[in-house]
This record gives sequence, C-alpha cells and structure tokens, in this order.
Amino acid sequence: MRVEISRSGGFAGMTRTWSLEVSPAEAEERWLPLADRAAEAPQEEESRRERDQRDRYVYHIVIGYQEVTLPESRLDEPWKELIERARRGSTG
Amino acid sequence: MHPHCSIVPPHLLAHLAAVDDPRHAVAARAARRALVQLDPLLAGREEAFAAPVPPRTAVGRPLERRISDAGGQEILPGTLVRGEGDAATGDAATDEAYDGLGATDALFRQVYGRASIDGAGLPLAATVHYGELYDNAFWDGERMVFGDGDGDVFGRFTRSLTVISHELTHGFTQYSTNLVYEGQSGALNESLSDVFGVLVEQHHLGQTVDQASWLVGEGVFTDQVQGRALRSLAAPGTAYDDDVLGRDPQPATMSDFVITTSDNGGVHINSGIPNHAFYLTALHLGGYAWERAGRIWFDAAVGGGIQANSGFRLFADVTQEAARARFGQDSAEHEAVRQAWAKVEVTG
Repeated sequence: MRVEISRSGGFAGMTRTWSLEVSPAEAEERWLPLADRAAEAPQEEESRRERDQRDRYVYHIVIGYQEVTLPESRLDEPWKELIERARRGSTG
Repeated sequence: MHPHCSIVPPHLLAHLAAVDDPRHAVAARAARRALVQLDPLLAGREEAFAAPVPPRTAVGRPLERRISDAGGQEILPGTLVRGEGDAATGDAATDEAYDGLGATDALFRQVYGRASIDGAGLPLAATVHYGELYDNAFWDGERMVFGDGDGDVFGRFTRSLTVISHELTHGFTQYSTNLVYEGQSGALNESLSDVFGVLVEQHHLGQTVDQASWLVGEGVFTDQVQGRALRSLAAPGTAYDDDVLGRDPQPATMSDFVITTSDNGGVHINSGIPNHAFYLTALHLGGYAWERAGRIWFDAAVGGGIQANSGFRLFADVTQEAARARFGQDSAEHEAVRQAWAKVEVTG
C-alpha cells in the first residue's frame, strides 16, 4: 500500500513530498489504525505553547483511503519512524 | 508624560531605565515609567500587561541572552552554554546565535526604543543543535530553536543573521499584534519577521537600500542547491530555482496570490506581497531602510491598529496612517507607502 507524505511550512516554507510502499498487513496493523484515530479524534484544545509556535512543519499523510494532517509538535514516535523511512527511500 | 511630548529619545530612556546605581534610582524609575507610557501598546492595552512577563522584570532591563545546547536531541531548553557577558564558546552555532540576538536587540532597542521583544526587557533565549540532522529553525513561543540542518539541502541555520532576526521578530509580533498564523494574517506575521529580519542585517552591516541584498536566509543552503537564499523582498519568486526543490513560489502582487491549504494557508508564500510592498517603500525613500520605512512598519505594529485577524488591506491602511501620523499627509513617506501598496495591488 502506498504512503504519501507531504511536509509544508517550516522556516523555508518549502513543500517536500516523500512516499513509500508498505505491505497491506503492515498498513492494517500499524498505520491505518493510527491514522483513523488521528482523523477521528476531536480537535483537542491547542495549548498556549502550541498556539504560539511559528515556522514549524505541518505534515499531511495519505495512507490508502485515509489521510491525516498533523502539526510537527504532535508527531509521536510511530509517525516519526514512518516519515524517516519515507525520507530514506525505504520501501519498508 | 504624554507619548507625543517626550523630549528624551526612547533609546536614551531605555539606557536610563537600565541604570542599576542607587544614586540614579529616581531617574531610572522615571525613565521606566516614561517608557511604558511611550509605548502605545503598553500604555493602551491591558492584555500587554497580562503578557507573560516574568515577575520582577524591570521595564528597560538591559539585554540578557541565554544560549542553550540541545546536544542533538529534541529537548528544550537543553543545557545553558552561554549567558550574557560570557566569553565566546568556540562553538559556531552558539556564538552566532548569541551575536545574532545582540544584533536584533540593537535594532529594536537603539533605533525604535523597544527594550527586548516585549518592550519590558524580556531575556532572549535560544537553543542550538536541536535534533539530529534537524532541518528547520522555529520560534516555540518562548525561545528560538535552531537545527544543524540535514547537510543535504540545509546547513547550519544560524549562519544567516536574517534567520535569527526572523525568529526573534516572531517573538516581537507575539507581544505586539499577535497576528493569527493562518491565511493573510499569518502571511503578515511572516512578513513582519522577514522585514525586520533583513532590517537587522542592514542595520548591523550599515547598508543602505541600494547596498542591501534584501535576501532572507542567504547562506543556509548547501552547495548542492541552486539558489542564493530562501526569499527575496526585492524580487519575490527568484530566491531559488532548483531541480529537486523547485522554484521559489512567492508572489509579488495580488494577481499571483496563492490559494492553498498547506503551510497554514501559504503563510510563507503570500508573505511575498507585503514583503515587496515594504521593499518598494524603502526603495522609494532611499538611504537606510530602518530609519523611515522600518519606523513606519514598527509604528504600525505597536500602534494598536492591527488586529490579530487583520488581512493585507487593513495592514496597508494602518501603515499609511502610521506614515501620515509620523511624517505628515503630504510627506514623501506617506506617498511612498501609498504607492507601494497600490503597486502590489493590495489597494486600488
């Protein structure tokens, strides 16, 4: 299954895109549930700290039928792993 | 003291306010009071007093820098490695951040009479060596944070003074207009950082309008990238044109305004339009850009006329009003601002 990652913002304001292929089993087990939870989660109240941040990245991640937009400050470890693999050109 | 009756220039007030000699305690106290009244933001807006200024922070407190090192981890603030007055460490990022904070404070304090980013002497904090191959620099609401770059596209972000001054100006904006970081107000937030970012460099180098590069982020690209810098105020859309990264997407006029959902609605893209309006104003007036064009933009930012959700049109109106208030209805300055906003098609 194809994963497409688009990173916008940052000081440079450049949009970069990376992609990788993951097996359907891996997508079902790891990434789609994570994306479902992120997409369905009610918009949490931003902390003052998050609201005042400037020049941070925004990630838009598309996994099969699911897509999710995440500010850099809310990327937890599994997402960082996925992004790192895509950046390195890994096909997982 | 009425704001418009002050005979003592703000930079002298700031100096007096910082005096820590008991023999001059009365003068220092008076200067601190005058500074508060001089700054229309501090004088007129209750929320400015509610801003997160640490207890016992004196108005007019002298420059205090604190540089910390994250040691390649994504932790903040990291370990303090250089405080105010400490000798250079020999670490390039640490010393560049320290010097860059000093140059930024110098413009705001010496030229515009504003003690630090909040007008009340807030210590300036930065963290360097954030993350592993981290390819960004950002403002986190309390400090600026610099990565070392990925070594592929970006090198060390502190190499460009304009990156440091850009980030610190986000702090100034947070304590003044606090423009919402989305769409046109977000692009104005970005533009203020670029405008004062380049003014800090021009002031530091003593450059006139004609001598300045008007570039933001010159020197942060590695040699592998085809580009001089990240943005150009003189010619938005021309800073880089690279096989892999693509072309600088900034527009210079409203005809080319980019509608997008990425980058918080194109805050780093459409900032090219107000950036270019500032450049045209400065070019029209000549000389040192921070003296007249910069003064007008500073007056607009602290004057209370900019709302958090302001768009380009309101910002254009407020800068024209700021030029009229300081230099007069028939002044060259007012005419320069008027023509600049018309040329970028924000006003008719």
